[in-house]
Amino acid sequence: MLKRPLPTQQERVLGEDDFIVSKTDLKGIITYGNRHFIQMSGYSERELLGTPHSILRHPDMPRVVFRLLWDTIQAKREICAYVKNLAKDGSFYWVFANITPSFDRNGDLIGYYSVRRKPRAEAVASIAQIYQALLAEERKAGDGQEGMKASLALLNQTLERKGLSYEEFVFGL
Amino acid sequence: MLLGAGWAASGPHPLPTLAWSLGGACVLLLGLALYTAHRILTALDRLTGHLKAAAAGNLESRITGIKAGAATGELAWAINDLLDQQEAYFREVYSAFEHATRGQTFRLAMDQGLHGAFKEAMVRVNISVESLGQVQMMALKEKLISKLTDLNSGNLLTNLKSIQEYLMNMTQEMSIVGQLSKETAGDAEASRATIEGLVADLNRVAEMAVASDAQVRLLHEKSDEIHQIVQVITEVADRTNLLALNAAIEAAHAGDAGKGFAVVAEEVRTLSENTKDAAASIAKTLQTFGQATTQMISDSEQVKALAEGSRTAVAEFRTRVLKFAGSATTSFTQMSRAQDLSFATLVKVDHFLYKQNGYRVIHQGTASPEARAVQSDHRSCRLGTWYYEGQGAELFSHVPSYVRLEAPHADVHRNIHDAVAQLSGAWERNPATQSLIYAHFEAAERASETVMSTIDRMVEERHRLA
Ligand SMILES: Cc1cc2nc3c(=O)[nH]c(=O)nc-3n(C[C@H](O)[C@H](O)[C@H](O)COP(=O)(O)O)c2cc1C
Repeated sequence: MLKRPLPTQQERVLGEDDFIVSKTDLKGIITYGNRHFIQMSGYSERELLGTPHSILRHPDMPRVVFRLLWDTIQAKREICAYVKNLAKDGSFYWVFANITPSFDRNGDLIGYYSVRRKPRAEAVASIAQIYQALLAEERKAGDGQEGMKASLALLNQTLERKGLSYEEFVFGL
Repeated sequence: MLLGAGWAASGPHPLPTLAWSLGGACVLLLGLALYTAHRILTALDRLTGHLKAAAAGNLESRITGIKAGAATGELAWAINDLLDQQEAYFREVYSAFEHATRGQTFRLAMDQGLHGAFKEAMVRVNISVESLGQVQMMALKEKLISKLTDLNSGNLLTNLKSIQEYLMNMTQEMSIVGQLSKETAGDAEASRATIEGLVADLNRVAEMAVASDAQVRLLHEKSDEIHQIVQVITEVADRTNLLALNAAIEAAHAGDAGKGFAVVAEEVRTLSENTKDAAASIAKTLQTFGQATTQMISDSEQVKALAEGSRTAVAEFRTRVLKFAGSATTSFTQMSRAQDLSFATLVKVDHFLYKQNGYRVIHQGTASPEARAVQSDHRSCRLGTWYYEGQGAELFSHVPSYVRLEAPHADVHRNIHDAVAQLSGAWERNPATQSLIYAHFEAAERASETVMSTIDRMVEERHRLA
């Protein structure tokens, strides 16, 4: 079991023409990562394979985003999300993640495929603010089910005020 | 297992010659070469397997556990990269088209991170996605429009009927509210009168308090004066007493001759003693009296202040009541205007329904309920009833525009009747009859416009006159 590092203020930036690719099984255990994944995360391929994807989870990320992520992909739909990730050395890197379900020949769900691209700086600036508010809401309500409910309500409220669906909002940033 | 190590360990000779050494080295090298070739071949087999799968359309599998520095490592990563490019490309294209077919044009295929031909292809893919999205959106819009039209034509009359019902309820409610606000205005007027009476009463109380205060003060002063007089009397009595005592002594000195005088002196003394007692009791009474008047003064002072205070309170209350009465009156005026407007709208809708029914007869035929409804003339239709005998006559007959409504209204009915009359016979095949029908409807519409504007003017005039 790999230990999660202490976060620092050091930022890593993904190349404009590169993307990170990873695959997981149905539980989110990493089954493949490309070289950009290895390089950006700071872990070796051997360390990554067989490890839960949450190894990259950054404490600045609100839980509601992952809840939305899993709800969506388990319903066999694609999701796009801005994610702040934690590298092995404690530094962080922002990505615009696209996760899609993978099916076998019979149409059964067998895993997930994720491509992560370099996000625009302005998009990161505005999503970071929203994430901060969501995180505060989760902490205020004590991080349990209540926190998730409160933060989901805030997210929906934010979208409603803009009159956009989550997808429209994310692609409009 | 290491092949080379196995060969090397099996050398049996304790004293190796040069030839042996050379031979051993050769064998070692050969073994190593064989081993390396074998490893590369196995690795290549694996890579070939992945490539074959990919060529068969399975982009899922990837090569993992790639050893750093292995000769085939770079090749393995290159194959993975190629598969990543292909898989990302196909998934993006799929997602973008999938969204576009639902009319969601914001989800274009992302080309960031794709290289060369993949990236270039994506540009063209997005052009298709965008136009597909647009077509899809237009199709949706058209579907909606045609559906709306269906809905509209089917439901127009029902909608109008419900508006009519709503307006009827509203008019009824408004007349209740109107009545209420009229009552409120009356109530306010009555309470204004009450307040005026109350103010006058209080003023009188205050005046009386001031007057009685003066009386009490006078009484107080008088009691002081009496007190002084009593003092004088007491002094006189004391001195008389002394004089009587002296007279008694002198009478004693005179012996028998003074006996009679002594009796007189004694009487005088008793008298002055009595006078003093009387004066003392007057003084005592006066003291009580003084205390009572002091109390009365402070009491009447308080009464004065109280009366003064309630006088200002009542004055304030009075202003408020006046304002309330005023606003009740204006709200009554506004209410009655709103009521008239809703009456007017109601009769307009009635009229509109009549006309609408006229149009419906064209589709439904002369045996339809609509045809029956359209038979009414300008006196018996709802607008007519309102105008000749209902609230229209009651509320508006005195305004100038009232008389101007009759002619255009009669015109609407006449034209609709004339149009409907053309519907007997083969009007459907006769263009001349059709244009006649059209002309009648057009005339009805023009007259109807005058009806509408005249009703508006009637409401306006009634409130300008009021
Ligand atoms: C294909 C795939 C990719 C994922 N990528 C990330 C990622 O880059 N960063 C991350 O924090 N979580 C990622 N997740 C979500 C994690 O599985 C996990 O839900 C998340 O880190 C939150 O951790 P938790 O569920 O333990 O709270 C990914 C999940 C899947 C299925």
